[in-house]
Amino acid sequence: MQKHLFILAALFVFAAPTFAQKYFTRDGKVKFFSDASMEKIEAVNKSATAVLDVATGKMEWKVLIKGFLFEKALMQEHFNENYLESSKYPNATFKGEITNLSEIDLSKDGTYKAKVKGKMNIHNVEKDMETAGTIKVNGNAITLHSEFFVKCSDHSIKIEAGKVANIANDIKVTVDATLNPMK
Amino acid sequence: MRRIIYFLLALACFGAAIGYYLWNKPHADMQSAKTDLVVEAAALFGEFDTDENAANAKYLNKTIAVSGKVKESTKAEDGAAKVILDTGGDFGVLCELDPLSQHPRTDFPIGETVTFKGICTGFNFDVQLSRCVEVK
Repeated sequence: MQKHLFILAALFVFAAPTFAQKYFTRDGKVKFFSDASMEKIEAVNKSATAVLDVATGKMEWKVLIKGFLFEKALMQEHFNENYLESSKYPNATFKGEITNLSEIDLSKDGTYKAKVKGKMNIHNVEKDMETAGTIKVNGNAITLHSEFFVKCSDHSIKIEAGKVANIANDIKVTVDATLNPMK
Repeated sequence: MRRIIYFLLALACFGAAIGYYLWNKPHADMQSAKTDLVVEAAALFGEFDTDENAANAKYLNKTIAVSGKVKESTKAEDGAAKVILDTGGDFGVLCELDPLSQHPRTDFPIGETVTFKGICTGFNFDVQLSRCVEVK
């Protein structure tokens, strides 16, 4: 009997860490929009990764700069070569956490308002940022959505005087991702 | 005098035409794009996993043909299709099918050995290739 109990207890101990705490996706969508007086520029990357630890509310996003697709080839080229210098700095990351986790029940279906705080790294320049978004829990899937602005000047992305009418300093970024438990 | 004006006008037209052409320069046609490097999925992943900087220097922005076994083939609601090539671990080589190309097929049976040609965009858990087309 005692032996059985021991085996049972051991099972629980070893089984516990396998409960999914981390949620992941490689299909995150990161879209940005530059609304300058002369020109509107849009680009999207559909292979951003996102990891969310549901126990701590910590999250990490990563997106490859060269994976952004533009309508115009020339813009894509300039974006990579002149502005983001993506051969030197191939990715952008966000590392942060949900700051109002106590108001969110990630084990219960529903849509929650979330506040997130962390560090955004674009063009190899790190910047503190805070934003709001929504978290939708639906069974085994957690869907994250947020919209925020990123300033080119905050990340040492220089826009020449002659291009100010073409490229906005405040870039609107929209992120969407549906995460599933990490296997 | 008139000749000079005509000449300048012609020059301006020529300049505008070049500008217009560059502005509307189409994206590279992936079907006919020249392949810079040919590599097996597992070997490619291994190089990035061992030394990301060295692998970036070698592959970033290059058009590469990668062969491997299909691990996952997905299609999103917005039509974006992706194929993940198996490299033995949890992560592999993620090939985004080119939204600007015609694809004979976008569904790939798991386990089939396929080759994709695409542009290497870097390492993000998987090695990522964008604008992929299947190579027979």
